[in-house]
This record gives sequence, C-alpha cells and structure tokens, in this order.
Amino acid sequence: MLDQVLFFFNALLQQTGAAHFTLGNLVMIAIGGTMIYLAIIKHYEPLLLIGIGFSCIVANVPGPPDVPGGPPVSALLYVVKEGGLFHYAYEGVAKLIVPPLIFLGVGAMTDFGPMIANPKLVILGAGAHLGIFVALILAKLVGFTINEAGAIGIIGGADGPMAIFVTVKLAPHLLGPISVAAYSYMALMPMIQPPVMKLLTNPEERKIGMTQLRKVSKLEKIVFPAVIAIIVNLFFPPVAPLITMLMLGNLLKEVGVTERLAKTAGGALMNIIIIILTVAIGSTMAADKFLTWDTILIVGLGLLAFLFGTASGVITAKIMNLFMKDKINPLIGSAGIASVPIAARVSHIVANQANPHNHLIYHAMGPNLAGVFGTAISGGIMLALLGVQ
Amino acid sequence: MVPDSVYGAILLSIIDFFLSFAIIAGIGAVLSFFPYLNRLGEIDEKKLREGGH
Repeated sequence: MLDQVLFFFNALLQQTGAAHFTLGNLVMIAIGGTMIYLAIIKHYEPLLLIGIGFSCIVANVPGPPDVPGGPPVSALLYVVKEGGLFHYAYEGVAKLIVPPLIFLGVGAMTDFGPMIANPKLVILGAGAHLGIFVALILAKLVGFTINEAGAIGIIGGADGPMAIFVTVKLAPHLLGPISVAAYSYMALMPMIQPPVMKLLTNPEERKIGMTQLRKVSKLEKIVFPAVIAIIVNLFFPPVAPLITMLMLGNLLKEVGVTERLAKTAGGALMNIIIIILTVAIGSTMAADKFLTWDTILIVGLGLLAFLFGTASGVITAKIMNLFMKDKINPLIGSAGIASVPIAARVSHIVANQANPHNHLIYHAMGPNLAGVFGTAISGGIMLALLGVQ
Repeated sequence: MVPDSVYGAILLSIIDFFLSFAIIAGIGAVLSFFPYLNRLGEIDEKKLREGGH
C-alpha cells in the first residue's frame, strides 16, 4: 500500500517542475531577483530590468516535460515556443523588426540640439568606442570566430538595438547572451562607469564648468534628420534601417505638424516594444542555455568593453583639452559610449558630486547622442569589412 | 573579407576605430555649417503647431 502511494506520489512529482529544478535555475532566479531589486530600490533603468528580471525568473521555473521523457519546459517557454504569445515577440527581435521600431521611438523622444550646438564634442562619440575593439580582439583570442567576436565587441557600443541588429547579422545564435549583456550593463552603467571616470580624472578636472551652449533653431533641427539619413544611407547601408528610423522619429518630433505620430512613436508604441523586448530577452535566460562557458565569457568581455569604452571616452576628452582654449570637463567623454541618456546622466551626476554648481547634462547629451552614431558607424564598417549585408 | 584570425581581428579593429573617428569628424564638420542655415530665415514654431493634426 505504502509502496503504491510512494509510486503515485513520485509519478505525480515527475509531472511537476519541482523534480526538474536545478542549482542553475536557482542561480538564474537570484540573478533575475537582483535585476528587479536594482530596478526598484536603486532605480537602475526599471523599464528594462523589471521585464528582463521577471522573465528570467519565470524562465527558470521548470515545468513538466513537453513530451514524456523529454526535458522540462518552463511555463514561460510554453508561451515562447512556436504558436505562443511571446514566440512572436522573440521573432520580432530575431527578425530585426523590433530594433528599428525602438529607434523610431528614441528619435521621437530625443532633442538632438546639444549635438548640433557643439559639433566639436561629436568626436567623443567615436573616442568612447575603444571598448568595442578591445572586446573584439579578446573574444577572438579566447576562441570565438571573427563574426562572433564582432558581435561580442558591439556590446561595447552600449546601444541595445544596435547590438541586437549586428548580432543577428553576424552571429544569431549568440543573440540571447549578447542582448542580455548589452541591456544589463546599460542599466548598470551608474555602477560601472563612475569608478573608471574618477580613476582617470583628478578633482580639479571633475570641477571644470562649461559655458552655456548656443540655442539651436527649429530650422536646424528639421534639417538635421534629413542630412544624417542621407549620410548614413549613402555610406553605411548595412545599418541604414536603424538610423533611418531614428531620424524619421526625430523628424516627426521636430516638424511640429505630426505631434500625434511623434507621441505614439515615443509613447504607446515604444512602451509596447519595451514590454516585448524585455520579455523576449529575459526568456532566453533559462539556466541550461544561459549558464554556459561561452555566456560567461561573453558577459565578462561585455563588462571589459564597457570599462574600456568609458576609459577611452574620458581619455579622448582629456586629449581634446590639450588643444582647446575653452576646456571641457573630461567626465562628459564617457557619455560618448551611447546608451542615451543613461551615460549622460552618469557624467552629470559625477561632475555634480565634484562641484554642486556643475550641471553638465545638456553638455554630456552631445557626445551621448554622437555615441549612437558612433556605434552605428562602427557596426556598419564592421559588417562591411566582414562582407555581411 | 577579413581573415578569421587574431591578425584579422586586430586589422578589423584598427581600420574600424580610425575610420569611425574620421567619419564622426566628418559629421561634426557638416554640423559646424548648420548655423548658416539660419541665414535662410526663421521658422515660426507657433504657426507650425497650428497646422498640426
């Protein structure tokens, strides 16, 4: 009798997820929980981390096997598998529908005035991208193929949609870990960047104030998206879909006669896309797929890319100061890494801590916005050199 | 086009890094001419908004 009860109990257990729960699942649930903690308590990019963290947790709660004797399938994977709700969300990311729509929304929410007002600082958008190439070379050294190394390197551009875009083109099988690394580090920039920025600057440099920027006219702001779209489509066709949508969104915002469209692109549509994107990314974080040696290497290389990118931005700003009459605060150099507006906010906060009268957010937005183009240009050149359309 | 080797990765990185610098500098140069656009006249933002839908 007892044997029969135990037999049935065991059979029942096998039909639940509890029997398939692993230490790896526990680790990933802790990581997902940490993301949610950082979003709620530290306010680190809650729009990204809440969705990614929650999906990561659910993706690591195993359910019963899909087929008798097969591997356990989490509840989230049931909706991610073909025919499920989020299957199409993931397809939207993998088929490069979501990244251009994100750029449309970003364009509709962004004022490119700071970049237009001080063209000299645009160069920081290239200077802060050394991390891409450090990670690329190191990835190749540890055994990744050149295409995989390129995709890993682009994490250092700190631009989520661009990282997804380049990864799908170069190494689609790495989309999960690379998008997780890119978005997680972007959200964690307030923790990653300040130590590097402080290490490379002295207190006097951090206190440097900057003169107010000139006012940019409406005409300039309307012409800007058209000019940039022409340049990018002419010289960088591989990344043209992203930048073209960014510029379309910006034109919708600036012309003034399409307020409804700009509000939708930067509001409701953007919010829907964020939900789809974060769940699609988080759902790739199941322990059996995520806790691999390759993923650990990618996450480590991504961190190095962010650190070197931050450092090279600050150093580029310091080099520029050698030649400039009006000195710039080198802390705005790290904003050139892209990740709008997180990196600019970090520059502003660190400068403000050194000198409470320093309000560098508008100045830092220039290199920050240029960083978006810097990442796109680096990605475009990389795709062209690797012969990928 | 680029060989799948460490040499290829270094070559790709050097070309990409310096070319990015040159192109971004080019965009900066184009932007430095933007103030001249204002000689064409001024856009009345209020009128723009009135024509919105």
